[in-house]
Amino acid sequence: MTTAVTAEVDPRLLEVLVCPVTHGPLEYDRVRNELVSQSARLAYPIRDGAPVMLPEEARSLDAPEAPAVAQPDFPE
Amino acid sequence: MSSAPPLLFDRRLRRLRLDRAAPGFAGADFLFRRAAEDAAERLSAILREFPLAVDLSARHGAFARALATSPAAARVGALIEADLSEKMLQLSGRSNPEIVHRNIDAANPLRLVLDEERLPFAEASLDLVVSLLSLHWINDLVGALVQVRRSLKPDGLFVGAFLGGATLTELRQSLIAAEAEVRGGAGLRVSPFADGIDAAGLLQRAGFAIPVADIDRVTVRYANPLKLMADLRAMGETNALVDRARTPLTRPVLARAFEIYAERFGLPDGRIPATFEIVTVTGWAPHESQQKPLKPGSAKMRLADALGTVEHPLIPE
Repeated sequence: MTTAVTAEVDPRLLEVLVCPVTHGPLEYDRVRNELVSQSARLAYPIRDGAPVMLPEEARSLDAPEAPAVAQPDFPE
Repeated sequence: MSSAPPLLFDRRLRRLRLDRAAPGFAGADFLFRRAAEDAAERLSAILREFPLAVDLSARHGAFARALATSPAAARVGALIEADLSEKMLQLSGRSNPEIVHRNIDAANPLRLVLDEERLPFAEASLDLVVSLLSLHWINDLVGALVQVRRSLKPDGLFVGAFLGGATLTELRQSLIAAEAEVRGGAGLRVSPFADGIDAAGLLQRAGFAIPVADIDRVTVRYANPLKLMADLRAMGETNALVDRARTPLTRPVLARAFEIYAERFGLPDGRIPATFEIVTVTGWAPHESQQKPLKPGSAKMRLADALGTVEHPLIPE
């Protein structure tokens, strides 16, 4: 096993990917390692450097359990 | 109320079947390898650069490997390997580590999980899209092909392979006959496949230019029908129809089906044949440089001159 330091997504992928639901743009959240679609209110996980572009695997941005504020390590 | 057409295939189940098949896929990948080699061969005849390519059904990396050993490799800049099954994708590049190729950079793989029914690519972002033996499980095939066409740059190429109508004809006939005999009715056990002849038409309906379809018929010999069923399971190709028969095949039905299979189709050496039909299609995203028919009456030269003959008008003046 290569010691995968949460493999970064290749920029070539980021350049061509859009949200599969809305075809809107995606933001790369390096901290959570997710691709965020504001238009669909979904965050697609990235596992092993591979974005998982399935709505059924995505996290809802409106779900209550999302700790939106409590991230002290990453100030603005 | 939704006016969407009824779904034929259960995509979640399809994904589950592929996930489950992943560990043993390499042992039953002969069809897939063949389709991958066909696709790579098709590409090697096309003298064009494809800076960014996507394989929508990477499975365990068969197309990447076929491409790596083909003359087309030099013309493909980067290959994104995608699959509906995350488990399959994890195998890609690992099942054959001795092949080192710039497109398959093990340290920095271009991989993603996607559903062909909902492509996550920006418009006009890709130069080449490949899809192998996967389209026969898609609910809205034309819709999916339209998405592929939109994701391609103008003059981008689509190479697709799917299973044609004659696929598993022996198994289908035997199961229907046996179930009708034993139960007095038959459920859907084998997926409907698109007809080879429809393939080019489908591409045209999806807006592709210059569509071409070829059919490759493969007959595989099995010791018995159980071995064939085991192979289908290993390929992840078992029933994912929404409207699939929910009652499992009972032993008497299955036993009768295997008898009928051997009676009707058995070979002299006691083995049984199974037909697979691989339909390979190519189509281009429209571009003004492509060949197309001229408007009637727009000729700049007389046909008679081109043929070096004398024109004889139908109606003498």
